Amino acid sequence: MTFEDRRGDFDAVARPLWSRAAAGDEQAYRSLLQLVARRLRAQLRRRLVDRPADLEDVVQDTLLALHLQRGAYDPALPLSAWVLAIARHKLVDHWRRHGRHDVARVALDDLGDDEPAQPPVDPGTPRDLERLLGLLPAAQQRAIRLTKLQGLSVAEAARQTGASESAIKVQVHRGLRLLAGVVRGKA
Amino acid sequence: MKTEQLIDLLATGIAPAAAHPFGRRLLRAGLVGFVASVGLAALLAGLNPAASLLTSATWMKLGYVGLVALAAGALCARLARPLADWRIAAGGLAAVVIGMAGLAAAVSGAAPPGQRLAVWLGHSWLLCPLLVALLSLPALGITLRALRGLAPMRPLPVAAAAGVFAGAVGALGYALACDEVAAPFVAAWYTLGIAVVGGLGALAGPRLLRV
Repeated sequence: MTFEDRRGDFDAVARPLWSRAAAGDEQAYRSLLQLVARRLRAQLRRRLVDRPADLEDVVQDTLLALHLQRGAYDPALPLSAWVLAIARHKLVDHWRRHGRHDVARVALDDLGDDEPAQPPVDPGTPRDLERLLGLLPAAQQRAIRLTKLQGLSVAEAARQTGASESAIKVQVHRGLRLLAGVVRGKA
Repeated sequence: MKTEQLIDLLATGIAPAAAHPFGRRLLRAGLVGFVASVGLAALLAGLNPAASLLTSATWMKLGYVGLVALAAGALCARLARPLADWRIAAGGLAAVVIGMAGLAAAVSGAAPPGQRLAVWLGHSWLLCPLLVALLSLPALGITLRALRGLAPMRPLPVAAAAGVFAGAVGALGYALACDEVAAPFVAAWYTLGIAVVGGLGALAGPRLLRV
Protein backbone atom coordinates (compact mmCIF):
# COMPACT_ATOMS: atom_id res chain seq x y z
CA MET A 1 0.00 0.00 0.00
CA THR A 2 1.37 3.40 -0.87
CA PHE A 3 1.69 6.25 1.54
CA GLU A 4 -1.16 8.05 -0.19
CA ASP A 5 -3.48 5.12 0.31
CA ARG A 6 -2.67 4.88 3.98
CA ARG A 7 -3.22 8.55 4.57
CA GLY A 8 -6.47 8.42 2.64
CA ASP A 9 -7.57 5.51 4.81
CA PHE A 10 -6.81 7.45 7.95
CA ASP A 11 -8.67 10.55 6.80
CA ALA A 12 -11.63 8.50 5.59
CA VAL A 13 -11.99 6.94 9.04
CA ALA A 14 -10.98 9.94 11.09
CA ARG A 15 -13.15 12.61 9.53
CA PRO A 16 -16.55 11.13 10.55
CA LEU A 17 -15.16 10.36 14.00
CA TRP A 18 -14.11 13.97 14.31
CA SER A 19 -17.55 15.24 13.34
CA ARG A 20 -19.22 12.97 15.86
CA ALA A 21 -16.75 13.98 18.54
CA ALA A 22 -17.45 17.64 17.80
CA ALA A 23 -21.10 16.86 18.51
CA GLY A 24 -20.16 15.43 21.90
CA ASP A 25 -19.82 11.71 21.07
CA GLU A 26 -17.31 10.52 23.67
CA GLN A 27 -16.80 7.09 22.19
CA ALA A 28 -16.11 8.52 18.75
CA TYR A 29 -13.55 10.88 20.23
CA ARG A 30 -11.94 8.08 22.18
CA SER A 31 -11.70 5.98 19.01
CA LEU A 32 -10.26 8.91 17.13
CA LEU A 33 -7.58 9.56 19.73
CA GLN A 34 -6.66 5.87 19.81
CA LEU A 35 -6.44 5.84 16.02
CA VAL A 36 -4.23 8.92 16.10
CA ALA A 37 -2.00 7.39 18.77
CA ARG A 38 -1.50 4.20 16.76
CA ARG A 39 -0.69 6.10 13.62
CA LEU A 40 1.73 8.41 15.43
CA ARG A 41 3.58 5.50 16.99
CA ALA A 42 4.04 3.95 13.57
CA GLN A 43 5.25 7.23 12.12
CA LEU A 44 7.57 8.21 14.97
CA ARG A 45 8.97 4.82 15.85
CA ARG A 46 11.83 5.08 13.42
CA ARG A 47 12.93 8.41 14.85
CA LEU A 48 12.73 7.43 18.50
CA VAL A 49 13.22 3.72 18.16
CA ASP A 50 15.65 3.29 21.05
CA ARG A 51 13.55 5.21 23.59
CA PRO A 52 9.99 3.92 23.79
CA ALA A 53 9.10 6.12 26.75
CA ASP A 54 10.16 9.15 24.73
CA LEU A 55 7.94 7.97 21.88
CA GLU A 56 4.99 7.86 24.25
CA ASP A 57 5.89 11.33 25.57
CA VAL A 58 5.63 12.80 22.09
CA VAL A 59 2.44 10.87 21.36
CA GLN A 60 0.87 12.24 24.55
CA ASP A 61 2.10 15.79 23.86
CA THR A 62 0.53 15.56 20.42
CA LEU A 63 -2.78 14.22 21.72
CA LEU A 64 -2.95 16.94 24.36
CA ALA A 65 -2.22 19.69 21.84
CA LEU A 66 -4.71 18.23 19.39
CA HIS A 67 -7.33 18.21 22.13
CA LEU A 68 -6.65 21.70 23.42
CA GLN A 69 -6.47 23.22 19.94
CA ARG A 70 -9.37 21.33 18.40
CA GLY A 71 -11.42 24.49 18.24
CA ALA A 72 -8.82 25.96 15.90
CA TYR A 73 -8.75 23.02 13.47
CA ASP A 74 -9.50 24.16 9.93
CA PRO A 75 -11.84 21.58 8.36
CA ALA A 76 -10.40 22.35 4.92
CA LEU A 77 -7.20 20.60 6.02
CA PRO A 78 -6.93 16.84 6.05
CA LEU A 79 -6.82 15.61 9.64
CA SER A 80 -3.74 13.54 8.82
CA ALA A 81 -1.85 16.66 7.75
CA TRP A 82 -2.92 18.63 10.82
CA VAL A 83 -2.02 15.87 13.26
CA LEU A 84 1.30 15.24 11.53
CA ALA A 85 2.18 18.93 11.74
CA ILE A 86 1.44 18.99 15.47
CA ALA A 87 3.51 15.85 15.98
CA ARG A 88 6.43 17.35 14.07
CA HIS A 89 6.45 20.42 16.33
CA LYS A 90 6.16 18.36 19.50
CA LEU A 91 8.94 16.08 18.34
CA VAL A 92 11.24 19.05 17.80
CA ASP A 93 10.31 20.42 21.23
CA HIS A 94 11.07 17.05 22.75
CA TRP A 95 14.48 16.84 21.11
CA ARG A 96 15.36 20.36 22.18
CA ARG A 97 14.48 19.59 25.78
CA HIS A 98 16.51 16.41 25.72
CA GLY A 99 19.68 17.89 24.36
CA ARG A 100 19.44 17.66 20.61
CA HIS A 101 19.97 21.23 19.48
CA ASP A 102 21.02 20.48 15.94
CA VAL A 103 17.48 19.86 14.90
CA ALA A 104 17.00 20.55 11.22
CA ARG A 105 13.61 20.78 9.67
CA VAL A 106 11.92 17.53 10.51
CA ALA A 107 10.42 15.87 7.47
CA LEU A 108 8.00 13.35 8.86
CA ASP A 109 6.23 12.89 5.56
CA ASP A 110 8.68 10.22 4.57
CA LEU A 111 8.38 8.40 7.86
CA GLY A 112 7.01 5.00 8.49
CA ASP A 113 3.59 5.34 6.94
CA ASP A 114 4.35 2.29 4.83
CA GLU A 115 5.32 0.30 7.91
CA PRO A 116 2.83 -2.33 8.92
CA ALA A 117 0.71 -1.03 11.75
CA GLN A 118 2.02 -2.67 14.89
CA PRO A 119 -0.07 -3.51 17.86
CA PRO A 120 0.04 -0.56 20.26
CA VAL A 121 2.94 -0.90 22.64
CA ASP A 122 2.18 1.41 25.49
CA PRO A 123 4.94 1.08 28.06
CA GLY A 124 3.40 3.94 29.94
CA THR A 125 5.61 6.73 31.07
CA PRO A 126 7.02 7.18 34.55
CA ARG A 127 3.89 8.99 35.60
CA ASP A 128 1.40 7.30 37.86
CA LEU A 129 -2.08 8.77 37.51
CA GLU A 130 -3.19 8.14 41.06
CA ARG A 131 0.00 9.55 42.47
CA LEU A 132 -0.30 12.59 40.24
CA LEU A 133 -3.92 13.15 41.16
CA GLY A 134 -2.80 13.07 44.76
CA LEU A 135 -0.61 16.08 44.10
CA LEU A 136 -3.58 18.24 43.18
CA PRO A 137 -5.53 20.39 45.61
CA ALA A 138 -8.46 18.48 47.11
CA ALA A 139 -11.20 20.33 45.24
CA GLN A 140 -9.57 19.73 41.87
CA GLN A 141 -8.85 16.09 42.68
CA ARG A 142 -12.45 15.53 43.55
CA ALA A 143 -13.80 17.33 40.51
CA ILE A 144 -11.55 15.34 38.18
CA ARG A 145 -12.29 11.99 39.80
CA LEU A 146 -16.02 12.58 39.58
CA THR A 147 -16.25 13.91 36.07
CA LYS A 148 -13.35 12.34 34.26
CA LEU A 149 -12.71 9.05 36.01
CA GLN A 150 -16.20 8.17 37.24
CA GLY A 151 -17.91 9.72 34.26
CA LEU A 152 -20.42 11.86 36.12
CA SER A 153 -21.83 14.85 34.32
CA VAL A 154 -20.96 18.29 35.59
CA ALA A 155 -24.47 18.63 36.99
CA GLU A 156 -24.21 15.33 38.86
CA ALA A 157 -20.81 16.21 40.24
CA ALA A 158 -22.14 19.58 41.36
CA ARG A 159 -25.01 17.92 43.16
CA GLN A 160 -22.73 15.44 44.83
CA THR A 161 -20.24 17.97 46.08
CA GLY A 162 -22.56 20.88 46.76
CA ALA A 163 -20.43 23.13 44.56
CA SER A 164 -21.87 25.10 41.66
CA GLU A 165 -21.59 23.72 38.12
CA SER A 166 -19.27 26.48 37.04
CA ALA A 167 -17.09 25.85 40.08
CA ILE A 168 -16.81 22.19 39.08
CA LYS A 169 -15.87 23.13 35.53
CA VAL A 170 -13.24 25.55 36.78
CA GLN A 171 -11.81 22.94 39.15
CA VAL A 172 -11.61 20.33 36.39
CA HIS A 173 -10.04 22.76 33.99
CA ARG A 174 -7.44 23.95 36.48
CA GLY A 175 -6.80 20.46 37.71
CA LEU A 176 -6.22 19.10 34.22
CA ARG A 177 -3.82 21.89 33.42
CA LEU A 178 -1.96 21.42 36.69
CA LEU A 179 -1.89 17.70 36.04
CA ALA A 180 -0.47 18.20 32.60
CA GLY A 181 2.06 20.60 34.05
CA VAL A 182 3.11 18.09 36.67
CA VAL A 183 3.28 15.42 34.00
CA ARG A 184 5.60 17.63 32.00
CA GLY A 185 7.78 18.34 35.01
CA LYS A 186 8.22 14.67 35.74
CA ALA A 187 9.10 13.77 32.18
CA MET B 1 0.58 7.95 32.87
CA LYS B 2 -0.45 5.52 30.19
CA THR B 3 -1.68 7.02 26.98
CA GLU B 4 -4.94 5.12 27.39
CA GLN B 5 -5.52 6.97 30.65
CA LEU B 6 -4.78 10.29 29.02
CA ILE B 7 -7.20 9.47 26.22
CA ASP B 8 -9.85 8.62 28.81
CA LEU B 9 -9.23 11.92 30.58
CA LEU B 10 -9.53 13.87 27.35
CA ALA B 11 -12.56 12.04 26.01
CA THR B 12 -14.73 11.95 29.12
CA GLY B 13 -17.28 14.73 29.00
CA ILE B 14 -16.00 16.02 25.69
CA ALA B 15 -17.71 19.28 24.84
CA PRO B 16 -17.63 21.21 21.59
CA ALA B 17 -14.65 23.50 21.58
CA ALA B 18 -15.16 27.22 21.04
CA ALA B 19 -14.07 28.47 17.65
CA HIS B 20 -11.14 30.88 17.42
CA PRO B 21 -9.66 29.90 20.78
CA PHE B 22 -6.48 31.91 20.25
CA GLY B 23 -8.23 35.12 19.31
CA ARG B 24 -10.61 34.83 22.24
CA ARG B 25 -7.88 34.15 24.77
CA LEU B 26 -5.60 36.89 23.48
CA LEU B 27 -8.45 39.38 23.44
CA ARG B 28 -9.38 38.56 27.01
CA ALA B 29 -5.76 38.61 28.15
CA GLY B 30 -5.27 41.94 26.36
CA LEU B 31 -8.29 43.51 28.00
CA VAL B 32 -7.36 42.39 31.50
CA GLY B 33 -3.74 43.37 30.89
CA PHE B 34 -4.85 46.78 29.66
CA VAL B 35 -6.92 47.41 32.76
CA ALA B 36 -3.95 46.38 34.91
CA SER B 37 -1.67 48.67 32.93
CA VAL B 38 -3.99 51.64 33.30
CA GLY B 39 -4.29 50.95 37.02
CA LEU B 40 -0.52 50.81 37.45
CA ALA B 41 -0.08 53.92 35.30
CA ALA B 42 -2.56 55.81 37.44
CA LEU B 43 -0.73 54.69 40.57
CA LEU B 44 2.82 55.29 39.41
CA ALA B 45 2.53 58.27 37.10
CA GLY B 46 -0.96 59.69 37.28
CA LEU B 47 -3.26 59.57 34.28
CA ASN B 48 -3.52 62.47 31.87
CA PRO B 49 -6.59 64.72 32.14
CA ALA B 50 -9.57 63.49 30.14
CA ALA B 51 -9.27 66.39 27.69
CA SER B 52 -5.98 64.97 26.48
CA LEU B 53 -7.89 62.03 24.99
CA LEU B 54 -9.05 64.33 22.23
CA THR B 55 -5.59 65.39 21.10
CA SER B 56 -3.98 64.02 17.97
CA ALA B 57 -0.88 63.16 20.00
CA THR B 58 -2.86 60.75 22.16
CA TRP B 59 -4.45 59.19 19.12
CA MET B 60 -1.08 58.82 17.45
CA LYS B 61 0.27 56.97 20.48
CA LEU B 62 -2.79 54.81 20.99
CA GLY B 63 -3.05 54.13 17.28
CA TYR B 64 0.54 53.00 16.94
CA VAL B 65 0.71 50.70 19.96
CA GLY B 66 -2.82 49.48 19.27
CA LEU B 67 -1.76 48.37 15.79
CA VAL B 68 1.36 46.75 17.24
CA ALA B 69 -0.84 44.84 19.69
CA LEU B 70 -3.17 43.66 16.93
CA ALA B 71 -0.33 42.62 14.64
CA ALA B 72 1.65 40.91 17.40
CA GLY B 73 -1.46 39.11 18.61
CA ALA B 74 -2.21 37.86 15.11
CA LEU B 75 1.38 36.73 14.70
CA CYS B 76 1.37 35.00 18.07
CA ALA B 77 -1.84 33.13 17.28
CA ARG B 78 -0.48 31.91 13.95
CA LEU B 79 2.85 30.84 15.36
CA ALA B 80 1.04 28.88 18.04
CA ARG B 81 -0.90 26.77 15.54
CA PRO B 82 0.40 24.22 13.07
CA LEU B 83 0.02 24.91 9.34
CA ALA B 84 -0.98 28.56 9.77
CA ASP B 85 0.79 31.12 7.63
CA TRP B 86 2.60 33.29 10.13
CA ARG B 87 4.82 35.06 7.60
CA ILE B 88 2.06 37.43 6.51
CA ALA B 89 1.37 38.36 10.12
CA ALA B 90 5.10 38.94 10.69
CA GLY B 91 5.09 41.20 7.66
CA GLY B 92 2.15 43.10 9.10
CA LEU B 93 3.98 43.73 12.35
CA ALA B 94 7.08 44.85 10.48
CA ALA B 95 4.97 47.17 8.35
CA VAL B 96 3.48 48.85 11.43
CA VAL B 97 6.88 49.44 13.02
CA ILE B 98 8.50 50.59 9.78
CA GLY B 99 5.56 52.84 9.00
CA MET B 100 5.90 54.52 12.36
CA ALA B 101 9.64 54.88 11.83
CA GLY B 102 8.86 56.61 8.55
CA LEU B 103 6.50 59.02 10.27
CA ALA B 104 9.14 59.69 12.91
CA ALA B 105 11.74 60.41 10.26
CA ALA B 106 9.39 62.82 8.53
CA VAL B 107 8.58 64.70 11.73
CA SER B 108 12.23 64.80 12.71
CA GLY B 109 13.23 66.06 9.30
CA ALA B 110 10.63 68.79 9.48
CA ALA B 111 11.92 70.05 12.81
CA PRO B 112 14.52 72.84 12.93
CA PRO B 113 17.99 71.23 13.18
CA GLY B 114 18.64 72.56 16.69
CA GLN B 115 15.49 70.91 18.01
CA ARG B 116 15.82 67.52 16.39
CA LEU B 117 17.50 65.84 19.31
CA ALA B 118 14.91 67.22 21.72
CA VAL B 119 12.15 65.89 19.50
CA TRP B 120 13.65 62.40 19.76
CA LEU B 121 14.59 62.47 23.45
CA GLY B 122 11.74 64.44 24.97
CA HIS B 123 12.12 64.75 28.71
CA SER B 124 11.45 61.15 29.72
CA TRP B 125 13.29 59.00 27.21
CA LEU B 126 14.82 56.71 29.86
CA LEU B 127 11.74 56.45 32.03
CA CYS B 128 9.42 55.61 29.14
CA PRO B 129 10.72 52.18 28.13
CA LEU B 130 11.13 51.21 31.78
CA LEU B 131 7.57 52.13 32.64
CA VAL B 132 6.19 50.50 29.49
CA ALA B 133 7.96 47.30 30.50
CA LEU B 134 6.78 47.50 34.09
CA LEU B 135 3.18 48.19 33.11
CA SER B 136 3.30 45.24 30.70
CA LEU B 137 4.22 42.62 33.29
CA PRO B 138 0.65 41.74 34.29
CA ALA B 139 -0.30 41.45 30.62
CA LEU B 140 2.72 39.23 29.99
CA GLY B 141 1.87 36.84 32.78
CA ILE B 142 -1.79 36.70 31.85
CA THR B 143 -1.07 36.21 28.15
CA LEU B 144 1.45 33.41 28.70
CA ARG B 145 -0.95 31.61 31.02
CA ALA B 146 -3.75 31.97 28.50
CA LEU B 147 -1.59 30.55 25.72
CA ARG B 148 -0.34 27.70 27.87
CA GLY B 149 -3.85 26.27 28.01
CA LEU B 150 -3.70 25.77 24.24
CA ALA B 151 -0.44 23.78 24.16
CA PRO B 152 1.09 26.11 21.55
CA MET B 153 3.57 25.07 18.87
CA ARG B 154 6.93 26.85 18.58
CA PRO B 155 7.27 27.92 22.24
CA LEU B 156 10.13 30.38 21.73
CA PRO B 157 8.69 32.50 18.89
CA VAL B 158 5.23 32.31 20.47
CA ALA B 159 6.60 33.56 23.80
CA ALA B 160 8.46 36.38 22.08
CA ALA B 161 5.37 37.41 20.13
CA ALA B 162 3.32 37.19 23.31
CA GLY B 163 5.88 39.52 24.89
CA VAL B 164 5.51 42.04 22.09
CA PHE B 165 1.73 41.78 22.42
CA ALA B 166 1.92 42.30 26.18
CA GLY B 167 4.36 45.17 25.73
CA ALA B 168 1.97 46.91 23.38
CA VAL B 169 -0.90 46.37 25.81
CA GLY B 170 1.19 47.87 28.59
CA ALA B 171 2.14 50.75 26.32
CA LEU B 172 -1.56 51.41 25.69
CA GLY B 173 -1.98 52.06 29.39
CA TYR B 174 1.22 54.07 29.55
CA ALA B 175 0.08 56.28 26.68
CA LEU B 176 -2.77 57.47 28.89
CA ALA B 177 -0.30 58.79 31.47
CA CYS B 178 2.55 59.94 29.25
CA ASP B 179 2.71 63.60 28.25
CA GLU B 180 5.17 63.35 25.38
CA VAL B 181 3.66 64.32 22.03
CA ALA B 182 6.32 63.82 19.36
CA ALA B 183 6.11 60.88 16.93
CA PRO B 184 9.88 60.30 16.96
CA PHE B 185 9.79 59.90 20.72
CA VAL B 186 7.01 57.36 20.50
CA ALA B 187 8.65 55.50 17.63
CA ALA B 188 11.91 55.18 19.53
CA TRP B 189 11.07 54.70 23.21
CA TYR B 190 7.69 53.05 23.17
CA THR B 191 9.05 50.59 20.63
CA LEU B 192 12.09 49.97 22.78
CA GLY B 193 9.93 49.27 25.81
CA ILE B 194 7.76 46.90 23.79
CA ALA B 195 10.84 45.15 22.41
CA VAL B 196 12.19 44.70 25.93
CA VAL B 197 8.99 42.92 26.93
CA GLY B 198 9.32 40.80 23.79
CA GLY B 199 12.75 39.84 25.05
CA LEU B 200 11.37 39.02 28.50
CA GLY B 201 8.79 36.81 26.88
CA ALA B 202 11.46 35.02 24.89
CA LEU B 203 13.55 34.46 28.01
CA ALA B 204 10.89 33.36 30.46
CA GLY B 205 8.13 32.31 28.15
CA PRO B 206 9.03 28.92 26.73
CA ARG B 207 9.18 27.30 30.14
CA LEU B 208 5.94 28.96 31.24
CA LEU B 209 4.19 27.88 28.04
CA ARG B 210 4.78 24.21 28.58
CA VAL B 211 1.51 22.56 29.45
